[in-house]
Parts: sequence; C-alpha cells; structure tokens
Amino acid sequence: MSSGDIKGFYRQKKKNGGVTKPSSSSSSSKKSKSKHYTGGASVGAPNAAQTPALVTRGGAIDLKEEYGDEEEALRQFDMDMKYGPCIGVGRLERWERAAAMGLHPPLHVREVLVGLASGSMACSSKFKCLWEGLV
Amino acid sequence: MADSEMGEATLERKLAVYRNLDERFVIREERYKGQQFSHIYFMRLHHMRSQLQSLIPKWKPHLPVNTVLGLEEGKECIIVGTLYKHMKLKPSILDEYSKERSAIPLVKPHNFMSTDDHLILEDESGRVKLAGPMLAPSAFVTGIVIAVHGKETSEGDFFVEDFLEAGLAPQVDRPLDSREDKFVAFVSGLSVGTNAFNPLQFQLLVDHITGHLGDENEQRISSKIVRLVIVGNSMHISHGFFSGQTVAPKDHAKLTEPIRELDIFLTQLVAALPVDIMPGCNDPANYSLPQQPLHRCLFAGASAYNTFVSCTNPHHFELDNVQFVGTSGQNIDDLYKYSDAKDKIEFMERTLRWRHLAPTAPNTLGCYPYVDKDPFLIESCPHVYFVGNQEKYETRLLQGPDKQLVRLISIPRFCETGVAVMLNLRNLECHALSFSTNL
Repeated sequence: MSSGDIKGFYRQKKKNGGVTKPSSSSSSSKKSKSKHYTGGASVGAPNAAQTPALVTRGGAIDLKEEYGDEEEALRQFDMDMKYGPCIGVGRLERWERAAAMGLHPPLHVREVLVGLASGSMACSSKFKCLWEGLV
Repeated sequence: MADSEMGEATLERKLAVYRNLDERFVIREERYKGQQFSHIYFMRLHHMRSQLQSLIPKWKPHLPVNTVLGLEEGKECIIVGTLYKHMKLKPSILDEYSKERSAIPLVKPHNFMSTDDHLILEDESGRVKLAGPMLAPSAFVTGIVIAVHGKETSEGDFFVEDFLEAGLAPQVDRPLDSREDKFVAFVSGLSVGTNAFNPLQFQLLVDHITGHLGDENEQRISSKIVRLVIVGNSMHISHGFFSGQTVAPKDHAKLTEPIRELDIFLTQLVAALPVDIMPGCNDPANYSLPQQPLHRCLFAGASAYNTFVSCTNPHHFELDNVQFVGTSGQNIDDLYKYSDAKDKIEFMERTLRWRHLAPTAPNTLGCYPYVDKDPFLIESCPHVYFVGNQEKYETRLLQGPDKQLVRLISIPRFCETGVAVMLNLRNLECHALSFSTNL
C-alpha cells in the first residue's frame, strides 16, 4: 500500500477515454486496496486500450487477455451453481466437496488444479475462486 | 459379620453400555478461512432436497419438480427449497446505522412475529415469494427445507396448494429385550453462582442420586440410575466478565467461586455414577453452536474420574442402544422468538419433522460457518429427544408414521423449579423428581 503504487496507478493514461469502468468514485474507494484488481468490466474482454499494468491479487501482473482455456474452465467451474457457492472456499476444496457429495464434477478441472500444484508455474491465484479478495 | 436380621446387602448400581456420538459436533479439522454461511445453507439444501426427492413420488407422483428459475406462469409443479421468513420486526444490525432513528423500542419483545411476515422459497437458481393460505408464516422459520406444490401467479408469486416436510427420519429399532428398569436422570439450569441457586436443594438431589438419602427402598431406586446428564447452564458467569477486559484481582473470586462450587458437587456425583455435562448459554463455553465441551481444567476434582464426561451442545449419545439427542435449549428458545406453537414440545416435534436440530442457525442463532457439512441435520430419528433450561417439565411420546417412537422431554431450570427428570430406559416412561427445601 505504498503511495508510489497509487501515484503509478493514477499516472496511467488510457488510449480511449471512458472505455472501461470503474468510475472514479469506485476506484477511489478501492485505492486502499491497491493490490486489488479494479478493472471489473474488462474481465474477459481483450481490449488493446486497456492498460497493461493492472495489478491483481498477490501483486502479480494480470494480463487478462491471456488467461487462456484453463482459467476459463476453472471459472466455469466456479460459476456453476450446481456445486454450491464458490466464495470463501478454495477451488480444489470445492471440487473435493462436490465429489464427496456425488455431484460428479468435471474431472479435467481437477487435473488442471492438481497439475498446477505440481507444475513449475505454480500460480497460487488459480487455487482461489474468481471473486477471491474482490467481494 | 453382616447381620442377617438387618438385611444389609450391598446394593450395586446398574450399568448401561454408553457410546458417545458427539464427534460430528466437535470442531477439530475445521479451519476458518473467511468463509460465509452460504456453504452451510448449500449443504443443508442439498441433503434435505435428496431426502425430499425420495418422498415426493409417494406424495404427488405425477407433478414435475422444477427449479425456482424454471417456473412457468400457471403451470402446476413442485419446487424444493429453503424457506426464508421475512419479518419486519426482526432486529437488524442495520437499524443502528439507519439515519431515521425512528422510535425503535428499547424493550425487546420476546417474540418478533408480525402479521406482515411472509415466506419466500429459495434454491440455487433464485427465490420466489410464497402466497396462499396453506402456509401460515407463524408456524415456520427461516432455514427449513420443504417441498411446495402450486403454481406461479401473474404477480410472480408462487401460490401454494400443498406442502411437504421431510417428516420424522427413519429410526433404528430400540432393543425390546431389556427386562430390568434402568433410569437416566436429567437436570438442567443449576446456575451455581447466582442468587437463585440453592445449595441445599442441589445437595438433596446429589444425595438422592448417589444413594445417601432415604431408606433401602429409596436406595434401591437410586441404584437403578445408570447415568446423570446435566443439560447446560450449570454455572452462571456474569456476562460482565466476557467483555474482554482484564479481571481485577478482587474480582477473581467472583469468577472462580461458582466453578469451584460446582466442581465440589460434581466430584460427589462422578464418584457415584457416570455424569455427562453439557454447556449452555451461561456456561464458560463458546457462544455459537455447536458449543464445545467444557474444558477439563474447570473441573479439577471431577475430571480425575473416568465417569466424568464433558460433552458438546447438542449432545448425541447411546445408552444400551437407545439413541439420545439433546440440547441446552438455545435451538428451541430461538424458535420461540420467531414462530408460534402451543408449547415447547411442539417446537421440538417440529424440529424432528424438519429433520434439523436448529433450523434458525445461522440466521438468528450463532453457528460455526461449516463448509462441507451441516452437523445439525437429523439423519436418524432418536428415541429420546431432550431440551434443557425450559420453564417447566413437559413430556410427550411422539409416534411417527413409520413406527418411530420418540420420547420428547422438556427439562425445567432446576434453580427455579427444583425439578429433575427421570427416564426409564426399558419403556421410555418419564417422571419428575422434585426437591424442595421449603419447610
């Protein structure tokens, strides 16, 4: 939460004026959580106008245009109401819970999560649900 | 050396095989990671829905079962979901922040019902308001899962023609081969540490149960008591001590005196027979359900005995294969605040029919935010269901549609009534033990 971060955040100029949300009031309310992703409306919308240096959870640079199929599959799993709410529980834990309840969650989701745990690109944010830290 | 004319044979206390089944209420592996209560509601809905779905074909076999979002106007169908009762008088934390500051009554009414209350049914896809005269909001509370049959109206409400509760869970058969009388004694609300506590009255109870009171006949009866269950609020620690501030040395005695006094009585009891002690709302235990067992360090004397068992609230155990489930009263007291029934026993019946010990948890009753289970669900109907800290002693034998038989017991506060309860394991008959020191 250093002031340098905040100044750097506000210094960025978007190529297109008001393309993306949030409005200035919501971004000011979120400036105390400078590590949090605030470009809510641009999720999944590859937009050249979007500034590349948006910070997300864990401080990792999050280039939303490149989240790929794996993340998409994980997000679909998050949003599927059949397996219950996704907030407050980790993705793997939620998968295990769904399996224990006999709901037959998709196996490839578990493979992705287990593969991530052992893979070299251990990106810890993928284990938390889509809304982690944002709600 | 025994004088045969005096007939002094040593009486031996009867024994019963005990199995403590509190494991599902103990918080052991659970970790709080910031989760909210949506998960416990999801587990409850999933579990109860699968139970209801097995009952719906016998109830109304020809109707389709829809989700709330899948409702079509005018089409008759069945929906299954969790009930939410909207109550305008229910106290809300937001009232403190409301700018209007209208005349909020400082005196809290004991009951928050109003004629404006209405019911809403909710599942994962959405919620719908329930209309129609079939469901009287005063008999229901937030948190129970039911199936309703009806159709969506043009206003977007769901007009209820009929509803289905899960009903009493299947019951394991009680062993019928016991020929001897064995009694379980229940006492609740001792409140050691308050002015209402009468040590002589409690000592009378202790002496009676341990067999130090009365002639041979009385002792023979006492020798048939196999277990004592103390159902919550055994001591009363003044709530001022729970504020988190350091206790001044001069107040230390006020804090420890009730605990020590209780331990002295308990030691006499555990030396004579097995005792289960449950926490209540005034005991030094956690606030939210399930309350964890009172710590052994509180009972320096009694915990040395292996007959001393500290239990959770709710408490589930088995004695000679008879299933017992009970609480210290918080679940029924909360139902009393948000719904109406002719007596406390009727609230107890309802919880059994809804197959949930504490349906208002976590809405208005504090509860741990479980992620992968709801431990208050009743999977198998108990033979004895007891609730402590009530106003008076009441009991009823409830018969279920599938030959279930449950003894419901409402145990009164001992400090106010001097009444303890005795249950006969052989035939589930119940009677009161009344102690008085008024000469």
